Amino acid sequence: MNAIEIRNLSKNFGEKQAVNGLNMTVPMGAIYGFIGENGSGKSTTEKMICGLIHPSGGQIKLFGKDHTDADVRAKVGVLIETPGCFQNYSVWNNLMLQAANLSIQNAETEVRKVLKTVRMEGAASNKYKNCSLGMKQRIGIAMALLGDPTLLVLDEPINGLDADGMRIMREVLVDITKNYGCTVVVSSHILGELEKIATHYGIIRGGRMIKEMTAEELETSCRTYVALQTRDMSRTKALLACKYSRVEEDESGYIRVYDAESPEGIVTYLYENGILVSEIKTAKIGLEEYYIDLMKEKEGR
Amino acid sequence: MKNTRELKFESPSFFQRLKGMLGVDFYRLFHTPMFYIFLAIAAIIPAMILGMTGMENAEGGIDRLYDNTWQIIAADTPLYVVKDIAEYANMNMVFIFGGIMVSIFIGHDYKSGYVKQLFTTHAKKQDYMMSKTLVCAFAMACMCITYLFGGVIAGALTQTSFAVNVGSLVSAILGKIVMSLGWASLYTFLNIIFRKYFGISIASSFFFGTGILIIGAAAIIGNNSALNIFLYGSSVYACLSSDFFTVLICLAVSVTWAIIYNVLGTLILSKSDVY
Repeated sequence: MNAIEIRNLSKNFGEKQAVNGLNMTVPMGAIYGFIGENGSGKSTTEKMICGLIHPSGGQIKLFGKDHTDADVRAKVGVLIETPGCFQNYSVWNNLMLQAANLSIQNAETEVRKVLKTVRMEGAASNKYKNCSLGMKQRIGIAMALLGDPTLLVLDEPINGLDADGMRIMREVLVDITKNYGCTVVVSSHILGELEKIATHYGIIRGGRMIKEMTAEELETSCRTYVALQTRDMSRTKALLACKYSRVEEDESGYIRVYDAESPEGIVTYLYENGILVSEIKTAKIGLEEYYIDLMKEKEGR
Repeated sequence: MKNTRELKFESPSFFQRLKGMLGVDFYRLFHTPMFYIFLAIAAIIPAMILGMTGMENAEGGIDRLYDNTWQIIAADTPLYVVKDIAEYANMNMVFIFGGIMVSIFIGHDYKSGYVKQLFTTHAKKQDYMMSKTLVCAFAMACMCITYLFGGVIAGALTQTSFAVNVGSLVSAILGKIVMSLGWASLYTFLNIIFRKYFGISIASSFFFGTGILIIGAAAIIGNNSALNIFLYGSSVYACLSSDFFTVLICLAVSVTWAIIYNVLGTLILSKSDVY
């Protein structure tokens, strides 16, 4: 059984089709990175999963049951954009109110537990409005964790956070999957961060799922390249372009050769043509570059 | 990273859900200054009306609007066609200000994201409607009581007569307090319709709270007791010539409209997107 199974999902806002025949499968226990550019339909899909908006068509199943089933909904924790908290209440009170809404029996114990998970034990008495953005996002996750959810849906939880905030959030998300054993769907534009935690990926474009894969499949799909620097970069690039099919100069001033058999072969070839290599390394393209390449491919560039 | 666990799905019962939601809404009501401000407004209104209309005019005489303190609570007879402001200015005004309070209370649910957080859980739309209606009815009933205190204090200070048939007075007050439920359900319903437009929801609450539609209908069909089937009609019916039957009529009308508006509100919430 999958945690989420979506078939042929669509959503129209008037004439605009935000989601168009989307299929999505999230295995149980996965940290599912949901990726797509602005307006691609990520948030709309997540809001449909969470029951905030009604699909125009298609089917959403959570743990094999319809997504509107109250029994299933009781086990879904959600953070969509920002947490729904009262500004003038303390962090503790906001969490206690959510616990009351969820009819949690040992509310105080539960609230303490989730505050510890999101590393906010010391800030429980702070007013929500006085919390930083990073803290607010962690409060949102704490709220989502109340009621011991089996599925967490987090929409852009790391956007706008500073480096330290991102690190804490990453640790929190990893802890959640370890300690709570729940499936997590997390959308973000910060692919470098997502790559560090996700076990599965779904890439959405124009309201359609264009690629779903596991982290292992991404690893296999991500090509190795050789990056090098010489004193005469323009001549080097021209020479390499004669022999290799894909040669590019990256933002950090390296020439990348994607289909090289080995670094040694490139060094020898350039040496034979009178160019000395000053620096050379092999690397793999990351999720971000894979995503950009995929988008270019879809756009036919 | 595979770390799954045994799946067990069960949601709380209706009463557990409603208890939890009522707990949250009552907590919010008692912890918001707005509630106390409206209680104070409800107390000040009769005091102001009785006080100001009991003052000496330029010629040194007093043109009292009311010759009895309890007329600030309810009219002498159920007059659906209002002839002068004195018949209009009674405890029914609480329901106008109560409407504004409900708009602010529900508007804050949407502004804060509370509704978004709520409806991603097992919470049902009917629970939300019921909880809001009951809490807002309670708040309006409290406003009726502070209005009563304000009126009594002002009556004593302005030395206005307190002569009254106690049974009728108690029936009138109970009738109006009971009507809080119906009015709260109407305002909750209106605020669900206009949930994305805070200004319109306040304006609609004010518009319907004044009973302007019923007054308009009464102007055509006259002082007809058939108008009692409406909220404003029943609120007017609870007057200083009321008896226990009046309270029963008010209760029946109030509960009936509360059920109708709750069902309609639940339908709207269920068929439309939360955000």
